[in-house]
Amino acid sequence: MVGKKKTTQELSIETEPVAVEETDLARDLRTTLEEIAKYEGVIGYILRNSTSAAIDLKDPTKIIDYAILSSSLFDAGEEMSTLLNIGDIKNIIIEGKDAKIISLTVDENRISVFMEKNANSEKILRKLHSL
Amino acid sequence: MDNEIYAFALKNALNEIQNICPDITNALIFGEDGAIIATDEKIPEKTTVRIINALDNIIEKTQTIGDLEKITIEGSKGRMNTSRTNSFYFVTTTSQNADLKYVDAITSVMIPTILKVVENFHPAPLKNNLQKTQQKPTISIEDETDEPKEFCESSLEVENKPKENFKPETDSLLVETPANQLIVDNLGGLLVPSDTVRVENQILLQWEEQCEGKEIEGIQLETFDGKTIQCKVKPIKDSKQEGKGIIQVPEKIRQELEIKKGELVKVRPILSME
Repeated sequence: MVGKKKTTQELSIETEPVAVEETDLARDLRTTLEEIAKYEGVIGYILRNSTSAAIDLKDPTKIIDYAILSSSLFDAGEEMSTLLNIGDIKNIIIEGKDAKIISLTVDENRISVFMEKNANSEKILRKLHSL
Repeated sequence: MDNEIYAFALKNALNEIQNICPDITNALIFGEDGAIIATDEKIPEKTTVRIINALDNIIEKTQTIGDLEKITIEGSKGRMNTSRTNSFYFVTTTSQNADLKYVDAITSVMIPTILKVVENFHPAPLKNNLQKTQQKPTISIEDETDEPKEFCESSLEVENKPKENFKPETDSLLVETPANQLIVDNLGGLLVPSDTVRVENQILLQWEEQCEGKEIEGIQLETFDGKTIQCKVKPIKDSKQEGKGIIQVPEKIRQELEIKKGELVKVRPILSME
């Protein structure tokens, strides 16, 4: 009984600051993504966590297609990480003939940035990893 | 294109690539249809299937970005890269400290080149015929169990003359244009007619196309010594033998032409005049 009580206390102490940090991080992420959205060749982004989502796409008709592809990328990334023993995923870059996507996770936040084929993905990746 | 040929050439190529670039820890090639074309020995088949399934799940959704060209998954312990070359997907994993420029140079140059070379070395132009493999040719062929009618053993003609002296039968036409060099393989069995050779279905279809749909009555085999023979032809039954550039020849004809398994012969169709 004593042990259980201790655990509960520890959790309750930690829970509040974490919640505050997540909110701050999510806000920072959104600010950064809004900035990235202005970069040349960037089509838009999706930011998702367990409680909220922010989507900004220049072509709203593609929101569902991009959201499905983005979600599949994260799922496949996790599976590949296990199957091929490449460790925790830092980022995923997918390129098609017309566009490319950068996907990465920052804490619980799943980020996907969509851009034209010739956009500077390195610059965007550096910006996102700096968070 | 026959996958077995790819598998053989590409498996060797993958092993060689890993030898010259040990930073590549795994390598795999699969087709558009999800079929495993070649894989290194380190990946178990079950894992390979799961990798392909995971990638397929992405590939089928990439229409929105103009179909997949490349995926890179950067992990804390290594990197997975998948790139597309024609109708193939080439998957590699590299270690964390790999020289990425060197790896990219090898994977983005060597594999497409090897794929091209393998395709060019294939004995028959099969690109357009791939879709037709399921179709039956419209040449007159009989069941294997049927007794030979038009071509009995005594009707076999062996001529020790060069090709230019060969005279086709009056009711048939020997076509000069479509001729293939094929590798002799043995054809045996109790019910195998001794006057009938077997050629790949794709080649028969190719001839038929080139001869504007005329009926193929038989074929002429020509050895490098200039010996020729006319005989009946049927398509090879075993689909695994397709794309290998072989002609299955019964013992009787092999003896007449003094040829052995593995030798090359020139084969051309004999068309019906009707």
